[in-house]
Amino acid sequence: MDILVGSLAAGILIGMVLALVAIGLTIIFGVMDIVNFAHGEFLMIGMYTGLLTAQGMGIDPLFTLPFAAVVGFLLGVICYYGFVKFLLRGPMVAQLLGTFGLMLFLRNVALLVFGSEDRAVHSGILVGRSFEVGMGVVIPATKLAAAGLSVVAFVTVWMLMNRTKVGKALTATALNSQGARYMGIPTDRMNALAWGIGAASVTIAGALIVNFWSVNPFVGLLFTMIAFAIVALGGFGSVPGAFFAGLVVGIITEIPGIWDFFTYTFNLDWMSRVPMTSFKYMWVYLAYFVIMVVRPRGLFGWKY
Amino acid sequence: MTLLEVQALTKEFGGLRANCDISFNVHQGEMVGIIGPNGAGKTTLFNCISGLYPVTSGRIIFAGRDITRLKAHEVARLGLARTFQVYAATGDLTVEENVMVGCFLRTRSRSQAMARAKQILYDLKLEDLSHYRVSELPVAAQKRVTMATALGLDPKLLLLDEVAAGLNPNEVEEVMANIKHVHSDLGITVMLIEHVMEMVMKISHRIVVLDYGEKIAEGDPQSIAKDPRVIKAYLGERYVREHGGELSPSS
Amino acid sequence: MEVLRNALDFSDFPRVDLCVAALVASFLLIFPLFHFSSFAMATMIQFLMFSLYGMGWNTIGGYGGQVDLGKAQYVGIGAYTTSVMLIRWDVPFWVSMPVGMSFAVLWSFIIGYPLFRLKGHYFAIATIATSLVLKDLFEVWDFVGAARGLEISPIKYHPPDFLRLIFKEDVYYYYVILGFFFLGIFYVNWFRKSRLGFQLRSIKDNEDVARSLGINVHWAKVKTYAIATAFVSLVGSFHACYIKNIEPEDTMSLDISILIALMAMLGGAGSLWGPIIGAGVLIPLKSYLKEWLGAKAGLVGIDLIIYAVIIMLISAVEPRGIWGIVEKARRRRSV
Repeated sequence: MDILVGSLAAGILIGMVLALVAIGLTIIFGVMDIVNFAHGEFLMIGMYTGLLTAQGMGIDPLFTLPFAAVVGFLLGVICYYGFVKFLLRGPMVAQLLGTFGLMLFLRNVALLVFGSEDRAVHSGILVGRSFEVGMGVVIPATKLAAAGLSVVAFVTVWMLMNRTKVGKALTATALNSQGARYMGIPTDRMNALAWGIGAASVTIAGALIVNFWSVNPFVGLLFTMIAFAIVALGGFGSVPGAFFAGLVVGIITEIPGIWDFFTYTFNLDWMSRVPMTSFKYMWVYLAYFVIMVVRPRGLFGWKY
Repeated sequence: MTLLEVQALTKEFGGLRANCDISFNVHQGEMVGIIGPNGAGKTTLFNCISGLYPVTSGRIIFAGRDITRLKAHEVARLGLARTFQVYAATGDLTVEENVMVGCFLRTRSRSQAMARAKQILYDLKLEDLSHYRVSELPVAAQKRVTMATALGLDPKLLLLDEVAAGLNPNEVEEVMANIKHVHSDLGITVMLIEHVMEMVMKISHRIVVLDYGEKIAEGDPQSIAKDPRVIKAYLGERYVREHGGELSPSS
Repeated sequence: MEVLRNALDFSDFPRVDLCVAALVASFLLIFPLFHFSSFAMATMIQFLMFSLYGMGWNTIGGYGGQVDLGKAQYVGIGAYTTSVMLIRWDVPFWVSMPVGMSFAVLWSFIIGYPLFRLKGHYFAIATIATSLVLKDLFEVWDFVGAARGLEISPIKYHPPDFLRLIFKEDVYYYYVILGFFFLGIFYVNWFRKSRLGFQLRSIKDNEDVARSLGINVHWAKVKTYAIATAFVSLVGSFHACYIKNIEPEDTMSLDISILIALMAMLGGAGSLWGPIIGAGVLIPLKSYLKEWLGAKAGLVGIDLIIYAVIIMLISAVEPRGIWGIVEKARRRRSV
């Protein structure tokens, strides 16, 4: 039982962080119909930012979030004005390969600058601590804090999109960019803002994830694929969808733990022979494929 | 002989009724015009008949077969061809290649398809344009190319969606000659949506009038032109004032 | 007969193209006589392999406009079938290659059928997902060596072994793949003029129009996807015999899938020469950059940075690729 509850709890906690990863992707997609392959690389940069500012300034990794947000915002805006803007008039193939090029670029610049070895956070108020919540379930404090802060960041972004004038202008651009331009909304700046907010939310997620996940320049792709799966499930362009889908995908990543639970509970020999941990992320890809084929608009999608 | 039977056809988009309980027949060898103001549901009707949209209710029978649930390509194979109002040709196919795509429905051989395409282009007086890309042509020529492409299918029934819209009088004459050729020389039954009254009134045997998704009138051009409901819905008050309440085919 | 005539008929190209093509073809035929370095030889073989991958991709991606970013799974299927059959049962290449192609085509139908319900980016990302699923499965499948992969050890055989395609000198491999390369060109030249080719180009233009012209759009896409797959699987089988050491991480990685799509696009998707031009530019560039900047100067990753910049430039400036630039210049001159 403890394994099951533990896996589910871990899944939900990581799911909250993953929701924050995905919100950036869904905003960018919603506003300008571009799928950003470099999304995971933004996360990787967020992880390095968190790690290096924490080490460089000697502060706790949890306090590096503002730095990560600023770095992410600037990165997003620079990417937009410097590159993505020129992709918008091109065909979809060009957009796909273009953001893929951006991904390769960021990844290899990171490789050149930081080297290929894994790095992790070793110190901090919460590192190494954990709570026992009963029934033998132990939750690391870093994950709990990351999940909590993710929810805060997520809600902030959501409020920004829904309750402010800028957010409404963004939504208008998403619904009908030409119409928005005629209404006097500077759509170009809105696109840049979408990239800024999108990148900032994912770098914040990165700075949170680095507390319990080691970073190297190649970490991005996995998160890009996870984010795609979440966005597909939640519906391309839907912010609340991203949250619930994040939780679902978080639980999907914990399928090996759940599998173990059933193996022990029913004492099934064949189940124990399946190397489930190696399949950990395969479920995410499979989920993406099945969701897209069965319900292309996702659970909450309004854009198709 | 009845070639096409539309029985109580209804098409809804969400809550919006684009076609409501429309019934009419098209006989072998006829030329039937569909008219109606913008948004009357004419193109939706074509999309339903040609199988691009699934219908909400009603039946469509073509050459004695129920085609209501068939997919667009299956309908086309039975001999029901259509053109499109906006022919968004962005790709790199030339005029001849475009017509060949249609011809390939009936043959696997490239040389046969090519010979057939050349023949159609010659018949429609388009052979000079054969090697241009469709996207490079003016609208008038593009519309004639879509007719040629549809003819490649060897259709029994051809649905023409506004082939004369936006053309100047000379071009309208050319298109009309093409349609007459298709109808009388090739013996293809034609159903056309048209806004150009001069043309549709002149060449149709029978006219079906749609307004707000419903069929409001059906009959020969003379009686349609006199029908008060049609005049009100379609032609408007101004036309009534200027033409004394009748749409004369010669105007 | 007509098929053969169409495959060999290049008369719709301008004469300049044909002259250049003839020059390149004769250069390729006599290339080994120059005795360039073995590095150059290896690069040329890579170029021919990737040209073929690109030609396969071009059928569905270029002529059909369906951006497929999951071709690596078929490289894997071809390569693994050939390796497994050779290592376990000593089955020669010429038998295992068609078997691999059949497996690949079968798999392409299984996943292609649901996959082509999707369009645009949704389709592209889903192809990545299927490819990664297959890679993950191969990484734990003991029968095919799991993550360690498979190794064909050449000592067991007596090179030159034309049946099993085990050679000591690269020049044999070169001529085998060159043969496939020419066959591939003839095939695509036939394909683009065939019924399916025309249907596919019409689908790319406008799917509704294609439907109303009696084209079963879904089925045409699935069929073409299978054709593209067969190409890729064939080269995958060759790859197994040539490299002799395959593992999921480098045979089936996303990078391979992207590289295939990228080359076709760089050269000009939807044209016969595009993938060849793309491979001809990108493969030498990639391997020499790696050699000079990566290995000699010790700057890890800088080759890929330059490579990434090229991708970004092409996609932002001229998405129709090098061939698009040539065509544009031509049309401007003729107007």
